[in-house]
Amino acid sequence: MDFITVKDVVKQYSGHRALDGVSMNVPEGCIYGLLGPNGAGKTSLIRILNMITRADAGEVLLNGEPLREAHVENIGYLPEERGLYKKMKVGDHIVYLARLKGMERTAAVKAMHEWLERFDLTEWRTRKVEELSKGMQQKVQFIATVLHRPRLLIFDEPFSGFDPVNAEQLKGEILRLRDEGATILFSTHNMGSVEDVCERITLINKSRVALEGAVKEVKRNHKKNKLSVMLDHDAVLAPAPEVFDIDVSTPGNAVIHLAKGVEMRDAIAFLNEHYPLTGVTELLPTMHEIFIETVTKNQEEEETA
Amino acid sequence: MKRLRLIIAHEYMMIVGKKSFIIMTLLIPFLIVIVGAVPVLIAYLNESADKSVEQIAVLDQSGGLGNALVPTDKYKFIPINATGAPETAARDFYKKASESLTAVVVIPADVEQTARVTIYSEQTIDVSTKEYINGCLGDTIAACRLASYGIDNLEKIVDDLKVDMSVNSIKWDENGNEQTTSTELSMVIGMVLALIIYTFVLMYGAMIMNSVVEEKTNRIVEVVVSSCRPVELMFGKIIGVGLVGLTQFAIWVVILGVGGSVLSMLGLGSMAAADPSTMQAATAAASEEGMDMQNMLAALGGINYGSLLVNFVLYFIGGYLLYASLFAAFGSAVDQASDASQFTTPIILFMVIALYAGIACASNPNGPMAVWCSMIPFTSPVVMMVRLPYDVPIWQQLLSIVLLFATAFAVTWLAARIYRTGILLYGKKRSFKDLFKWVVNK
Repeated sequence: MDFITVKDVVKQYSGHRALDGVSMNVPEGCIYGLLGPNGAGKTSLIRILNMITRADAGEVLLNGEPLREAHVENIGYLPEERGLYKKMKVGDHIVYLARLKGMERTAAVKAMHEWLERFDLTEWRTRKVEELSKGMQQKVQFIATVLHRPRLLIFDEPFSGFDPVNAEQLKGEILRLRDEGATILFSTHNMGSVEDVCERITLINKSRVALEGAVKEVKRNHKKNKLSVMLDHDAVLAPAPEVFDIDVSTPGNAVIHLAKGVEMRDAIAFLNEHYPLTGVTELLPTMHEIFIETVTKNQEEEETA
Repeated sequence: MKRLRLIIAHEYMMIVGKKSFIIMTLLIPFLIVIVGAVPVLIAYLNESADKSVEQIAVLDQSGGLGNALVPTDKYKFIPINATGAPETAARDFYKKASESLTAVVVIPADVEQTARVTIYSEQTIDVSTKEYINGCLGDTIAACRLASYGIDNLEKIVDDLKVDMSVNSIKWDENGNEQTTSTELSMVIGMVLALIIYTFVLMYGAMIMNSVVEEKTNRIVEVVVSSCRPVELMFGKIIGVGLVGLTQFAIWVVILGVGGSVLSMLGLGSMAAADPSTMQAATAAASEEGMDMQNMLAALGGINYGSLLVNFVLYFIGGYLLYASLFAAFGSAVDQASDASQFTTPIILFMVIALYAGIACASNPNGPMAVWCSMIPFTSPVVMMVRLPYDVPIWQQLLSIVLLFATAFAVTWLAARIYRTGILLYGKKRSFKDLFKWVVNK
């Protein structure tokens, strides 16, 4: 079942259409990537989901129901631009934001202690936010986002500003929250993290959906029939234009792409027959490549149109 | 409602919990008390320093007029005799005399005609001494001159001519009962209330604006409005900060009340004793205005405090709401507080106009300017406070209140529309045109 359904949503600002008929379906319990270049309309869509702004047209369903105010208690939002009340104490701050999301004080305090311990911040509980390092502030923000156990978590660039060790810890927490049943919408430019954690993606470009689907499927659809070939005894691949073209060739290794109309298993059979083949890997495009390809293709289309 | 309460409590604690707030709140009344106490203390010190008796030598050449100088606790007069030029005689005596001699008064023989005496001393003679001598001799010379006319009962006639007019103003209430009023008192009460509203609105308006800008620069605002509606946040802020103001106000009233009564117990008695001449002057001024202490008390009782308080609270809330929501809206439109001046200048201008109109209205509280300015919502909270102690027609009060609250609600609505757009936009410098667009946008 889809936890979020976005249908033909339009958002118009004065002189600029931020979203133009965008649709998206996020299955429950899924980590879903919302991708797109700067200014594509991601933040506009996220703000509509958070009910910070409203769509001018179209429909947004949360768990099958039209979005309404009470739903904000089921959503946790970590915006890209981070901020906290600098003069507040860490513990008070977390509890305040959780109570704004409808949590009772006692429950919020209890959960706050648990989370501070999980992130090794217990001794900082009574300190002011401004005394914390940037990384610790980011952790506090993360805690404030998830404390009320929302069923939908919206992370806008969650890893920015984290060092690799903390980023890994954060990733672990995000996966754990997913396992506990939360649906996670993940907006990012960091394609590496998309490949790591996202199951499905929607790529928005110029206010429209440019690409949508499961990450594996998207990759398969964008495959260029490239193979990485490994040969024994440092053998060197000879050209065979009717079967493949050679992109890179070194003794024992080569990257090839198949000629038109050639099936992969035929190519492998051909290689196996003529060379001491030890391994073949299909080279799927990275999300990074797909992102750039999709965005530049859109641009070219627009220029020719 | 639960969220609104939460935001109000948060905004309240954000300010009240600050050390600077606590220090300022406690410090200001003490500063006021100290400023008030310094003259009393100085007078007190003066008095204890002045315990010494001033010895003044009197060289009387008029033959008997020197007796008019009656000795008191403070002044002791020593008659001296001398021949020759009075100046040299005075100087000789002064030099020979013991150190305690303050001055030598020379009363010339023709004093009755010239009314001129001379005081010689090494130090400048202080005003009270001069006045005492002046008073004693002046009265005697006047009596002598009167006597020289040889008319019977002239002294009595002259006394009769000294008219001390006193104008008591008595006001009839609806039942025809009489009430003592005081124009001066009304003016003072009105101005004090007007100043309180003026100060409060500007001080706490600025506080709201800073809080809005801070949330925006902090970027925390996006998280908060993902949990509540922007309008809730704005109102929570306005109400929370308003409560801070009331708290501060209440603390000051208590401190000033306690401090004032302590001070009056300690200081007032000594002040009265310390400087009889000022007390005399004050009483004289009061009686000139047709006002003795009893009248003043009667006038204090004659003011309708209930209606004044209700009106004060209403105008206070209305004026605060009006200006605070404008401050919030303008705060939301800028990225840093220093950019806000283009928007806040008109607000502050309005407030200053209101204050000056209020001051001008004090002398003519029912003139056309007073009436108009007490109707215009941007000036009415201040101006009406000045007018109220003079009894404003009830229809004017009602109209003014209705206009104020109608405008305050309209402006709050506009401000909320500006606010909810402004808090999420960064970067560009905004103009009034942009704000208008935000209001119009659906």
